[in-house]
Amino acid sequence: MTSLAAVFGLLAMLVATVAVGVFARRFARTTSDFLVAARSVRPAANAAAISGEYLSAASFLGIAGLVMKFGYDVLWYPVGYAAGYLVLLIFIAGPLRRFGAYTIPDFAEGRFNSPRFRRLAVVLVLVVGLFYALPQMKAAGITVASAAGVPYATGVAATAVVVVTIVVAGGMRGVTLVQAMQFAVKLFAITVPVFVLLIQFGTPGGLFAGLAGRETASAPQATVVHAAPGDEWQVTEAIAVHLDNPTPVRLLPGARAPAVYVGAPQPPPPAGAGTEVTLGVDGTLPVGRVRWEQAADVRLPAGQPVPYGAQTPPSTTSSWLKPFGPLAGGSGQPLLFTYSLIVAILCGTMGLPHILVRFYTNPDARAARRTAWLVLVLVGLFYLWPPLYGVIGRLRAPQLYTGDLTDSVVLLLPRQVGPHVVGDALAAITAAGAFAAFAATLSGLLISLAGALGHDIYGRWLRPGASGPERSRAFRASALVAGLAAALLGLLVENFDINVLVGWAFAIAASSFFPLLVLGIWWRGLTTAGAALGAAVGGIAATLAILTTMLAAASPGLTDALVRHPALAVVLAQPAIVTIPLAFAVMVGTSLARPRAPAGVAAKMVQLHIPDRLGLRRDYIPE
Amino acid sequence: MALERQFPERSVPERHVPLGELRDLEEQTPVGEIFLGALMRRQLVLSLRVALTLVVALGAQPLVAWLWPEYGTLRVFSIPLPWLVLGVGSYPLMIALGLYYVRHAETIDDEFSELLEP
Repeated sequence: MTSLAAVFGLLAMLVATVAVGVFARRFARTTSDFLVAARSVRPAANAAAISGEYLSAASFLGIAGLVMKFGYDVLWYPVGYAAGYLVLLIFIAGPLRRFGAYTIPDFAEGRFNSPRFRRLAVVLVLVVGLFYALPQMKAAGITVASAAGVPYATGVAATAVVVVTIVVAGGMRGVTLVQAMQFAVKLFAITVPVFVLLIQFGTPGGLFAGLAGRETASAPQATVVHAAPGDEWQVTEAIAVHLDNPTPVRLLPGARAPAVYVGAPQPPPPAGAGTEVTLGVDGTLPVGRVRWEQAADVRLPAGQPVPYGAQTPPSTTSSWLKPFGPLAGGSGQPLLFTYSLIVAILCGTMGLPHILVRFYTNPDARAARRTAWLVLVLVGLFYLWPPLYGVIGRLRAPQLYTGDLTDSVVLLLPRQVGPHVVGDALAAITAAGAFAAFAATLSGLLISLAGALGHDIYGRWLRPGASGPERSRAFRASALVAGLAAALLGLLVENFDINVLVGWAFAIAASSFFPLLVLGIWWRGLTTAGAALGAAVGGIAATLAILTTMLAAASPGLTDALVRHPALAVVLAQPAIVTIPLAFAVMVGTSLARPRAPAGVAAKMVQLHIPDRLGLRRDYIPE
Repeated sequence: MALERQFPERSVPERHVPLGELRDLEEQTPVGEIFLGALMRRQLVLSLRVALTLVVALGAQPLVAWLWPEYGTLRVFSIPLPWLVLGVGSYPLMIALGLYYVRHAETIDDEFSELLEP
């Protein structure tokens, strides 16, 4: 699996990041706050930088992987990520820039005059930020692992060390140029390989026509798949395989393997140890669940339906192509699931901790709106392409289903392009793009998390009188702690799809920060108690629902209970459709029941809404 | 860049001594409240109009697919129509909606400013 070219791509991107960071810092104008780059960045450069930070590993690797796994339904993710930016543009971009708060905790405190509310917001920022860091860690793990041929855990650890070092050394601190460059790298790295792939494998129309002719995913040529001891395969049609040595396998009862997540928990497979048989060098894998007892390199013949790994639900091409396929359809409540997913992504974008910070690099609200619109254009341009990797992957590299490797399709597909030199070059390019994706988002997240930990928890609660150097040390220590926490949690999520994890972070943000920001900006009747209670109830409800779903993956009893109530299972797995209205209802209800608007609300509304031209603006943060 | 031409930069005049209605706004007098309320209402109606268009355009797709399953089998040049509508068509629509919003939000702000500026 090792690819020298991909390793080269990773290292080249690392060097470029550090080099541009050092170069840009010489020219960067400093501001009072290290979190924010010079205010007067032009909208075009700023939009590229924001897009660079926004397009995470979920966009670069995850969308393609999930499209390959589940088909049409996954298109809601990229469309939702872009639409979330439109929602941010129309509801909060202008007013929030006028208000002049850098972060959601700043907004919570400034709008409601409540340091206690600020603490609640800090805790929610930490929860959302950590959830969002998990998929980035998974992406980092699989990228490094597939490039260098090391275990997943090594990849996660290496990335954590590199990114924490970059953040602690200050190499990417709000530097617009680095992030703008990373957007360019990502756009280049997603488009160039896809064009080469299209030249090699046919036009989009031709690809879909090719898919329509194959109801099951079957490899176009014979391929070798590595099976590790304990790997479980789901065989949908008996398939003749070639092995280097006779290998023992265990035939497990039941037709379905335990899928960690198909929209909602799946019925557990029937218990029973199964029977052990030894496959000869030219053996046949029977239909059903097969567990490898020893490592083996398994040669799958051309033109035969490939087996599926334990985490990949088998799908027919016709259901994969249609709405409510294996993702939404697999949940048992397709319509409910789809709408809940759409709502979570649409409303969650503005609540991600690292997104709002960059908006204050705009000089005024007018520039903030134009920047947000340009971001929409840039990310829209990017999101056209990842799904094509998923389509090509199903057609040309279905053996990735066997190894549960769909999240790596962007990294592995280019290696199939011949001649080898071209394939290697493309593999280096996509590896560099993946590095840009997880490094940009992870460092943005770590800066936000370290800011919340160091600035709020240390600087305001634990040691309010801390000196400047002490605070600076606390920031660095916090970056280390946040990186360590993200890496440790990242080790646990190897079997979760990148985008499923991202969807959860969005759901928590959408259930707490979205109502807080929208009502806080547009409704002067919102009271402090209402806002705090609503954000807490929504955020906690969404988090508990998601934790229940994650635990169900490990608890057969819980899974069993959820399988019997599919609507409940869908709401727990994709809670936004319930928890967002819940948060709104608590906010509005509490505010109406005890109408005590925070002091100076009229002045806050003037600051939020009066056009900059009139010169009434005073930044909430005086520094 | 073409975008710069589309959105010519406008300088922000410095003002330090608010006059007339502007002072009403700054000091939150009842007159100022009425002006502020009118501005917020116009901006919010614009935002909600754009949001509603987005929600209808996206939200109708699962419903269409649910009520009319043949939608999933339609093809254009062998590409399934739902893929084209959602995976390609959504972006120009959202970009157009965003442009519509930015233009109108700026117009509302400008009209409000011109009303108050002596």
